[in-house]
Amino acid sequence: MSIILTFIAMLLAGIGAGVLGALVGLGGGVVIVPVLTLFFGVPIIYATGASLVSTIATSSSAASAYVKDRITNIRIGMSLEIATTAGAIVGALLSAWLFMNHLTNLIFIIFGIVLIFTIVPSLRKLSIERHPSVAARPDKTTRTFQLYGKYEDQSIQGSDKHVVYFGVRWWLGETIMLFAGIISGLLGIGSGVLKVLGMDWAMKLPIKVTTTTSNFMIGVTAATGSAIYWALGYIQPFIAASTAIGVLIGSFVGSRMLVGMKGESVRVLFLVVLGIVAIEMILRGIGVA
Amino acid sequence: MNQSQEERFERRLALKAHIDMTAESSMESIIATQLRIGVVISIVLIAIGSVLLFMNGGSGGIPITEIASSNSPVNSASFNPATAVADLAGAQALGFIFVGLGVLIITPVIRVAMSVLFFFDHGNWLYVAITLIVLTDLLFAIFIVPSFVPRVVTGPTAPG
Repeated sequence: MSIILTFIAMLLAGIGAGVLGALVGLGGGVVIVPVLTLFFGVPIIYATGASLVSTIATSSSAASAYVKDRITNIRIGMSLEIATTAGAIVGALLSAWLFMNHLTNLIFIIFGIVLIFTIVPSLRKLSIERHPSVAARPDKTTRTFQLYGKYEDQSIQGSDKHVVYFGVRWWLGETIMLFAGIISGLLGIGSGVLKVLGMDWAMKLPIKVTTTTSNFMIGVTAATGSAIYWALGYIQPFIAASTAIGVLIGSFVGSRMLVGMKGESVRVLFLVVLGIVAIEMILRGIGVA
Repeated sequence: MNQSQEERFERRLALKAHIDMTAESSMESIIATQLRIGVVISIVLIAIGSVLLFMNGGSGGIPITEIASSNSPVNSASFNPATAVADLAGAQALGFIFVGLGVLIITPVIRVAMSVLFFFDHGNWLYVAITLIVLTDLLFAIFIVPSFVPRVVTGPTAPG
Protein backbone atom coordinates (compact mmCIF):
# COMPACT_ATOMS: atom_id res chain seq x y z
CA MET A 1 0.00 0.00 0.00
CA SER A 2 1.37 3.40 -0.91
CA ILE A 3 2.14 5.80 1.89
CA ILE A 4 -0.61 8.28 1.13
CA LEU A 5 -3.15 5.45 1.08
CA THR A 6 -1.88 4.27 4.46
CA PHE A 7 -2.35 7.79 5.81
CA ILE A 8 -5.89 8.01 4.42
CA ALA A 9 -6.72 4.53 5.72
CA MET A 10 -5.55 5.45 9.21
CA LEU A 11 -7.48 8.73 8.99
CA LEU A 12 -10.63 6.83 8.00
CA ALA A 13 -10.02 4.29 10.78
CA GLY A 14 -9.80 7.22 13.18
CA ILE A 15 -13.07 8.64 11.86
CA GLY A 16 -14.74 5.24 12.23
CA ALA A 17 -13.42 4.85 15.76
CA GLY A 18 -14.58 8.34 16.67
CA VAL A 19 -18.09 7.76 15.28
CA LEU A 20 -18.40 4.33 16.88
CA GLY A 21 -17.05 5.60 20.18
CA ALA A 22 -19.50 8.49 20.28
CA LEU A 23 -22.47 6.28 19.34
CA VAL A 24 -21.89 3.71 22.07
CA GLY A 25 -20.86 6.35 24.58
CA LEU A 26 -17.24 5.30 24.79
CA GLY A 27 -14.15 7.23 23.77
CA GLY A 28 -12.43 6.59 20.46
CA GLY A 29 -9.46 5.00 22.24
CA VAL A 30 -11.01 1.62 22.96
CA VAL A 31 -11.74 1.30 19.24
CA ILE A 32 -8.62 2.80 17.67
CA VAL A 33 -6.06 0.77 19.64
CA PRO A 34 -7.42 -2.62 18.44
CA VAL A 35 -7.87 -1.28 14.89
CA LEU A 36 -4.27 -0.03 14.69
CA THR A 37 -2.75 -3.15 16.21
CA LEU A 38 -4.95 -5.86 14.67
CA PHE A 39 -5.52 -4.37 11.19
CA PHE A 40 -2.55 -2.10 10.58
CA GLY A 41 0.06 -4.14 12.43
CA VAL A 42 1.13 -1.10 14.43
CA PRO A 43 3.16 -1.96 17.58
CA ILE A 44 0.98 -1.65 20.66
CA ILE A 45 2.96 1.23 22.18
CA TYR A 46 2.60 3.35 19.03
CA ALA A 47 -1.11 2.50 18.98
CA THR A 48 -1.64 3.52 22.61
CA GLY A 49 0.43 6.68 22.04
CA ALA A 50 -1.68 7.74 19.04
CA SER A 51 -4.87 6.85 20.90
CA LEU A 52 -4.05 8.83 24.03
CA VAL A 53 -3.29 12.08 22.19
CA SER A 54 -6.50 11.61 20.17
CA THR A 55 -8.36 11.30 23.46
CA ILE A 56 -7.18 14.77 24.48
CA ALA A 57 -8.49 16.23 21.22
CA THR A 58 -11.95 14.68 21.58
CA SER A 59 -12.24 15.49 25.27
CA SER A 60 -11.25 19.12 24.78
CA SER A 61 -13.56 19.72 21.86
CA ALA A 62 -16.48 17.95 23.54
CA ALA A 63 -15.90 19.95 26.72
CA SER A 64 -16.24 23.19 24.83
CA ALA A 65 -19.53 21.94 23.36
CA TYR A 66 -20.91 20.87 26.75
CA VAL A 67 -20.10 24.13 28.45
CA LYS A 68 -23.09 26.05 27.24
CA ASP A 69 -25.32 23.62 29.12
CA ARG A 70 -23.51 24.52 32.36
CA ILE A 71 -23.72 20.99 33.73
CA THR A 72 -20.03 20.14 34.15
CA ASN A 73 -18.93 20.42 37.78
CA ILE A 74 -15.34 21.63 37.66
CA ARG A 75 -14.94 21.48 41.44
CA ILE A 76 -15.86 17.80 41.69
CA GLY A 77 -13.87 17.04 38.55
CA MET A 78 -10.77 18.77 39.86
CA SER A 79 -10.96 17.07 43.26
CA LEU A 80 -10.99 13.68 41.52
CA GLU A 81 -8.19 14.64 39.13
CA ILE A 82 -5.77 14.29 42.04
CA ALA A 83 -6.24 10.54 41.78
CA THR A 84 -6.57 10.21 38.00
CA THR A 85 -3.38 12.15 37.25
CA ALA A 86 -1.42 10.22 39.90
CA GLY A 87 -2.85 7.01 38.46
CA ALA A 88 -1.94 8.03 34.91
CA ILE A 89 1.69 8.48 35.94
CA VAL A 90 1.72 5.00 37.50
CA GLY A 91 -0.04 3.49 34.48
CA ALA A 92 2.29 5.06 31.91
CA LEU A 93 5.35 3.93 33.86
CA LEU A 94 3.85 0.46 34.19
CA SER A 95 3.41 0.37 30.42
CA ALA A 96 7.08 1.37 29.98
CA TRP A 97 8.15 -1.37 32.39
CA LEU A 98 6.11 -3.98 30.51
CA PHE A 99 7.62 -2.83 27.21
CA MET A 100 11.19 -2.93 28.46
CA ASN A 101 10.67 -6.42 29.85
CA HIS A 102 9.16 -7.65 26.57
CA LEU A 103 5.79 -8.19 28.20
CA THR A 104 3.70 -6.16 25.73
CA ASN A 105 1.54 -9.25 25.19
CA LEU A 106 0.17 -8.57 28.66
CA ILE A 107 -1.03 -5.14 27.47
CA PHE A 108 -3.13 -6.90 24.79
CA ILE A 109 -4.65 -9.22 27.37
CA ILE A 110 -5.38 -6.45 29.89
CA PHE A 111 -6.83 -4.34 27.09
CA GLY A 112 -9.20 -7.13 26.07
CA ILE A 113 -10.33 -7.73 29.64
CA VAL A 114 -10.87 -4.00 30.31
CA LEU A 115 -12.83 -3.74 27.04
CA ILE A 116 -15.17 -6.58 28.09
CA PHE A 117 -15.75 -4.95 31.47
CA THR A 118 -16.41 -1.69 29.64
CA ILE A 119 -19.06 -3.18 27.40
CA VAL A 120 -21.13 -4.74 30.20
CA PRO A 121 -22.11 -1.48 31.93
CA SER A 122 -22.67 0.13 28.53
CA LEU A 123 -25.18 -2.60 27.67
CA ARG A 124 -26.86 -2.21 31.05
CA LYS A 125 -26.97 1.56 30.69
CA LEU A 126 -29.29 1.14 27.71
CA SER A 127 -32.05 0.00 30.04
CA ILE A 128 -31.41 2.07 33.15
CA GLU A 129 -30.77 5.36 31.40
CA ARG A 130 -34.34 6.57 31.68
CA HIS A 131 -34.66 6.10 35.41
CA PRO A 132 -33.25 9.06 37.28
CA SER A 133 -31.11 8.02 40.22
CA VAL A 134 -32.36 8.85 43.70
CA ALA A 135 -30.79 12.06 45.00
CA ALA A 136 -28.24 11.46 47.72
CA ARG A 137 -28.35 13.12 51.15
CA PRO A 138 -25.11 15.01 51.82
CA ASP A 139 -22.48 13.33 53.99
CA LYS A 140 -19.37 14.70 55.70
CA THR A 141 -17.25 14.68 52.54
CA THR A 142 -19.97 16.62 50.72
CA ARG A 143 -19.27 19.62 52.93
CA THR A 144 -15.51 19.18 53.32
CA PHE A 145 -14.83 18.89 49.59
CA GLN A 146 -17.73 21.09 48.43
CA LEU A 147 -19.28 18.26 46.43
CA TYR A 148 -22.46 20.01 45.44
CA GLY A 149 -23.88 21.68 42.41
CA LYS A 150 -26.90 22.73 40.49
CA TYR A 151 -28.01 22.52 36.89
CA GLU A 152 -31.01 23.13 34.72
CA ASP A 153 -32.76 20.06 33.31
CA GLN A 154 -34.98 20.92 30.36
CA SER A 155 -36.69 17.54 30.48
CA ILE A 156 -38.27 18.32 33.87
CA GLN A 157 -41.96 19.20 33.71
CA GLY A 158 -43.03 22.30 35.63
CA SER A 159 -41.64 25.77 36.22
CA ASP A 160 -38.62 24.91 38.39
CA LYS A 161 -36.19 23.03 36.19
CA HIS A 162 -33.27 23.37 38.57
CA VAL A 163 -31.71 20.27 40.07
CA VAL A 164 -29.58 20.62 43.20
CA TYR A 165 -27.39 17.60 43.88
CA PHE A 166 -24.85 16.37 46.39
CA GLY A 167 -21.89 14.06 45.90
CA VAL A 168 -21.10 11.58 48.66
CA ARG A 169 -18.33 9.09 49.56
CA TRP A 170 -15.50 11.17 48.12
CA TRP A 171 -12.90 8.62 49.24
CA LEU A 172 -14.62 5.84 47.30
CA GLY A 173 -14.84 8.00 44.18
CA GLU A 174 -11.18 8.89 44.59
CA THR A 175 -10.18 5.22 44.87
CA ILE A 176 -12.00 4.31 41.67
CA MET A 177 -10.41 7.32 39.95
CA LEU A 178 -6.96 6.07 40.86
CA PHE A 179 -7.71 2.87 38.94
CA ALA A 180 -9.22 4.87 36.09
CA GLY A 181 -5.96 6.82 35.87
CA ILE A 182 -3.80 3.69 35.90
CA ILE A 183 -5.88 2.09 33.13
CA SER A 184 -5.72 5.30 31.09
CA GLY A 185 -1.92 5.53 31.37
CA LEU A 186 -1.41 1.82 30.77
CA LEU A 187 -3.72 1.34 27.79
CA GLY A 188 -3.81 4.80 26.19
CA ILE A 189 -7.56 5.22 26.61
CA GLY A 190 -9.72 7.79 28.40
CA SER A 191 -11.25 5.16 30.74
CA GLY A 192 -14.46 7.19 30.82
CA VAL A 193 -16.53 4.17 31.87
CA LEU A 194 -14.56 3.80 35.12
CA LYS A 195 -14.83 7.53 35.73
CA VAL A 196 -18.58 7.41 35.23
CA LEU A 197 -18.76 4.44 37.60
CA GLY A 198 -16.87 6.41 40.23
CA MET A 199 -19.18 9.40 40.09
CA ASP A 200 -22.47 7.71 39.30
CA TRP A 201 -22.31 4.61 41.50
CA ALA A 202 -19.85 5.65 44.23
CA MET A 203 -20.63 9.34 44.61
CA LYS A 204 -24.30 9.21 43.60
CA LEU A 205 -24.06 12.16 41.23
CA PRO A 206 -26.74 12.68 38.54
CA ILE A 207 -25.87 10.96 35.25
CA LYS A 208 -25.77 14.22 33.28
CA VAL A 209 -23.25 15.70 35.68
CA THR A 210 -21.30 12.45 35.65
CA THR A 211 -20.87 12.16 31.89
CA THR A 212 -19.92 15.79 31.26
CA THR A 213 -17.57 15.95 34.26
CA SER A 214 -15.99 12.64 33.23
CA ASN A 215 -15.25 14.14 29.82
CA PHE A 216 -13.68 17.18 31.48
CA MET A 217 -11.43 14.90 33.50
CA ILE A 218 -10.39 12.70 30.56
CA GLY A 219 -8.43 15.54 28.90
CA VAL A 220 -6.36 16.23 32.01
CA THR A 221 -5.75 12.53 32.70
CA ALA A 222 -4.76 11.85 29.09
CA ALA A 223 -2.42 14.87 29.04
CA THR A 224 -0.57 13.42 32.05
CA GLY A 225 -0.11 10.03 30.40
CA SER A 226 0.74 11.59 27.02
CA ALA A 227 3.54 13.68 28.52
CA ILE A 228 5.22 10.50 29.75
CA TYR A 229 4.47 8.66 26.50
CA TRP A 230 6.14 11.56 24.72
CA ALA A 231 9.36 11.15 26.69
CA LEU A 232 9.27 7.38 26.20
CA GLY A 233 8.96 7.81 22.45
CA TYR A 234 5.49 6.23 22.19
CA ILE A 235 4.18 8.95 19.90
CA GLN A 236 4.96 8.15 16.27
CA PRO A 237 4.19 11.34 14.27
CA PHE A 238 2.75 9.68 11.17
CA ILE A 239 0.36 7.41 13.08
CA ALA A 240 -0.53 10.01 15.73
CA ALA A 241 -1.22 12.74 13.13
CA SER A 242 -3.57 10.66 10.98
CA THR A 243 -5.33 9.14 14.00
CA ALA A 244 -5.81 12.38 15.95
CA ILE A 245 -7.35 14.21 13.00
CA GLY A 246 -9.55 11.19 12.18
CA VAL A 247 -10.83 10.56 15.69
CA LEU A 248 -11.61 14.24 16.18
CA ILE A 249 -13.67 14.37 12.97
CA GLY A 250 -15.33 11.05 13.82
CA SER A 251 -16.40 11.97 17.32
CA PHE A 252 -17.73 15.30 16.05
CA VAL A 253 -19.86 13.51 13.44
CA GLY A 254 -20.84 10.72 15.84
CA SER A 255 -22.08 13.00 18.60
CA ARG A 256 -24.36 14.72 16.08
CA MET A 257 -25.62 11.41 14.70
CA LEU A 258 -26.42 10.36 18.25
CA VAL A 259 -28.96 13.16 18.63
CA GLY A 260 -31.07 11.90 15.74
CA MET A 261 -30.60 8.19 16.40
CA LYS A 262 -33.54 6.29 17.86
CA GLY A 263 -32.92 2.59 17.50
CA GLU A 264 -30.90 1.10 20.32
CA SER A 265 -30.39 -2.10 18.37
CA VAL A 266 -27.65 -0.28 16.45
CA ARG A 267 -25.82 0.42 19.69
CA VAL A 268 -26.24 -3.17 20.82
CA LEU A 269 -24.78 -4.35 17.51
CA PHE A 270 -21.76 -2.07 17.92
CA LEU A 271 -21.22 -3.31 21.46
CA VAL A 272 -21.30 -6.90 20.23
CA VAL A 273 -18.68 -6.00 17.61
CA LEU A 274 -16.56 -4.49 20.37
CA GLY A 275 -16.95 -7.72 22.31
CA ILE A 276 -15.49 -9.66 19.40
CA VAL A 277 -12.65 -7.13 19.19
CA ALA A 278 -11.97 -7.66 22.91
CA ILE A 279 -11.67 -11.41 22.40
CA GLU A 280 -9.36 -10.82 19.41
CA MET A 281 -7.12 -8.68 21.59
CA ILE A 282 -6.92 -11.37 24.26
CA LEU A 283 -6.18 -14.07 21.67
CA ARG A 284 -3.47 -11.89 20.16
CA GLY A 285 -1.98 -11.42 23.61
CA ILE A 286 -1.97 -15.14 24.28
CA GLY A 287 -0.43 -15.68 20.89
CA VAL A 288 -3.26 -17.66 19.32
CA ALA A 289 -4.36 -15.11 16.70
CA MET B 1 -28.10 15.30 63.79
CA ASN B 2 -31.85 15.51 64.21
CA GLN B 3 -34.31 16.04 61.41
CA SER B 4 -34.40 19.85 61.43
CA GLN B 5 -30.63 20.19 61.77
CA GLU B 6 -30.17 17.91 58.81
CA GLU B 7 -32.61 19.93 56.75
CA ARG B 8 -30.84 23.18 57.62
CA PHE B 9 -27.50 21.60 56.67
CA GLU B 10 -28.91 20.51 53.35
CA ARG B 11 -30.48 23.91 52.66
CA ARG B 12 -27.23 25.68 53.41
CA LEU B 13 -25.33 23.44 50.99
CA ALA B 14 -27.99 23.96 48.33
CA LEU B 15 -27.53 27.72 48.67
CA LYS B 16 -23.76 27.36 48.37
CA ALA B 17 -24.29 25.16 45.31
CA HIS B 18 -26.24 27.99 43.71
CA ILE B 19 -23.62 30.65 44.53
CA ASP B 20 -20.64 28.52 43.45
CA MET B 21 -22.16 27.24 40.22
CA THR B 22 -23.10 30.79 39.19
CA ALA B 23 -19.55 31.98 39.76
CA GLU B 24 -18.01 28.95 38.05
CA SER B 25 -20.13 29.16 34.93
CA SER B 26 -18.28 32.31 33.83
CA MET B 27 -14.99 30.50 34.32
CA GLU B 28 -16.23 27.59 32.23
CA SER B 29 -17.00 29.89 29.31
CA ILE B 30 -13.45 31.26 29.31
CA ILE B 31 -12.01 27.77 29.62
CA ALA B 32 -14.18 26.41 26.80
CA THR B 33 -12.84 29.11 24.50
CA GLN B 34 -9.28 28.31 25.56
CA LEU B 35 -9.81 24.59 24.88
CA ARG B 36 -11.32 25.24 21.48
CA ILE B 37 -8.44 27.53 20.51
CA GLY B 38 -5.92 24.92 21.70
CA VAL B 39 -7.51 22.10 19.69
CA VAL B 40 -7.89 24.23 16.55
CA ILE B 41 -4.26 25.44 16.64
CA SER B 42 -3.06 21.90 17.23
CA ILE B 43 -5.11 20.28 14.47
CA VAL B 44 -4.15 23.01 11.98
CA LEU B 45 -0.43 22.51 12.76
CA ILE B 46 -0.76 18.72 12.47
CA ALA B 47 -2.64 19.06 9.17
CA ILE B 48 -0.04 21.47 7.74
CA GLY B 49 2.72 19.09 8.85
CA SER B 50 0.99 16.14 7.18
CA VAL B 51 0.60 18.02 3.90
CA LEU B 52 4.26 19.14 4.02
CA LEU B 53 5.32 15.57 4.70
CA PHE B 54 3.79 14.40 1.42
CA MET B 55 4.81 17.50 -0.56
CA ASN B 56 8.46 17.26 0.50
CA GLY B 57 8.58 13.47 0.51
CA GLY B 58 10.01 13.51 4.00
CA SER B 59 11.31 15.86 6.65
CA GLY B 60 14.75 17.00 7.76
CA GLY B 61 16.52 14.56 5.47
CA ILE B 62 14.48 11.58 6.67
CA PRO B 63 12.59 9.95 3.77
CA ILE B 64 8.81 9.60 4.12
CA THR B 65 9.05 5.81 3.83
CA GLU B 66 11.00 5.73 7.07
CA ILE B 67 8.68 8.18 8.85
CA ALA B 68 5.55 6.31 7.76
CA SER B 69 6.77 2.85 8.70
CA SER B 70 4.83 1.28 11.58
CA ASN B 71 8.09 0.30 13.22
CA SER B 72 9.72 3.64 12.47
CA PRO B 73 12.44 4.77 14.86
CA VAL B 74 11.20 8.33 14.29
CA ASN B 75 9.06 9.18 17.31
CA SER B 76 8.47 11.78 19.99
CA ALA B 77 11.71 10.86 21.78
CA SER B 78 13.70 11.96 18.73
CA PHE B 79 12.05 15.38 18.69
CA ASN B 80 14.32 18.19 19.84
CA PRO B 81 12.34 21.12 21.34
CA ALA B 82 15.42 23.37 20.95
CA THR B 83 15.10 23.30 17.17
CA ALA B 84 11.30 23.53 17.09
CA VAL B 85 11.20 27.18 16.02
CA ALA B 86 13.78 26.60 13.31
CA ASP B 87 11.80 23.56 12.13
CA LEU B 88 8.65 25.64 11.79
CA ALA B 89 10.46 28.47 10.02
CA GLY B 90 12.09 25.97 7.69
CA ALA B 91 8.68 24.37 6.92
CA GLN B 92 9.85 21.00 8.26
CA ALA B 93 6.92 18.57 8.31
CA LEU B 94 7.91 16.79 11.51
CA GLY B 95 8.39 20.12 13.29
CA PHE B 96 4.77 21.05 12.54
CA ILE B 97 3.39 17.67 13.55
CA PHE B 98 5.34 17.51 16.83
CA VAL B 99 4.57 21.10 17.79
CA GLY B 100 0.89 20.46 16.97
CA LEU B 101 0.84 17.32 19.14
CA GLY B 102 2.66 19.26 21.85
CA VAL B 103 0.03 22.01 21.78
CA LEU B 104 -2.63 19.31 22.17
CA ILE B 105 -0.95 17.93 25.31
CA ILE B 106 -0.38 21.39 26.79
CA THR B 107 -4.01 22.50 26.26
CA PRO B 108 -5.44 20.71 29.36
CA VAL B 109 -2.41 21.84 31.39
CA ILE B 110 -3.25 25.47 30.65
CA ARG B 111 -6.82 24.73 31.63
CA VAL B 112 -5.72 23.50 35.05
CA ALA B 113 -3.36 26.46 35.51
CA MET B 114 -6.21 28.86 34.71
CA SER B 115 -8.41 27.07 37.26
CA VAL B 116 -5.83 27.78 39.98
CA LEU B 117 -6.09 31.49 39.23
CA PHE B 118 -9.87 31.33 39.22
CA PHE B 119 -10.17 29.58 42.59
CA PHE B 120 -7.58 32.02 43.97
CA ASP B 121 -9.65 34.94 42.72
CA HIS B 122 -12.71 33.54 44.50
CA GLY B 123 -10.86 32.87 47.73
CA ASN B 124 -11.61 29.14 47.56
CA TRP B 125 -8.36 28.09 49.24
CA LEU B 126 -9.19 24.40 49.47
CA TYR B 127 -9.60 24.31 45.70
CA VAL B 128 -6.51 26.42 45.12
CA ALA B 129 -4.63 23.67 46.99
CA ILE B 130 -6.40 20.79 45.21
CA THR B 131 -5.85 22.33 41.78
CA LEU B 132 -2.19 22.98 42.60
CA ILE B 133 -1.78 19.28 43.44
CA VAL B 134 -3.25 18.35 40.03
CA LEU B 135 -0.97 20.88 38.34
CA THR B 136 2.00 19.44 40.23
CA ASP B 137 1.12 15.94 38.98
CA LEU B 138 1.01 17.27 35.41
CA LEU B 139 4.29 19.17 35.70
CA PHE B 140 5.88 16.14 37.36
CA ALA B 141 4.83 14.01 34.37
CA ILE B 142 6.13 16.59 31.89
CA PHE B 143 9.43 17.63 33.47
CA ILE B 144 10.53 15.16 36.15
CA VAL B 145 9.48 11.72 34.87
CA PRO B 146 11.37 12.09 31.53
CA SER B 147 14.63 12.47 33.46
CA PHE B 148 14.42 8.95 34.86
CA VAL B 149 12.67 6.95 32.15
CA PRO B 150 14.67 5.29 29.38
CA ARG B 151 13.82 6.43 25.88
CA VAL B 152 12.72 4.10 23.14
CA VAL B 153 14.91 5.88 20.59
CA THR B 154 15.72 2.91 18.43
CA GLY B 155 12.06 2.28 17.72
CA PRO B 156 9.88 -0.48 19.04
CA THR B 157 9.61 -3.89 17.53
CA ALA B 158 6.23 -5.40 16.91
CA PRO B 159 5.16 -7.64 19.77
CA GLY B 160 4.37 -11.30 19.31
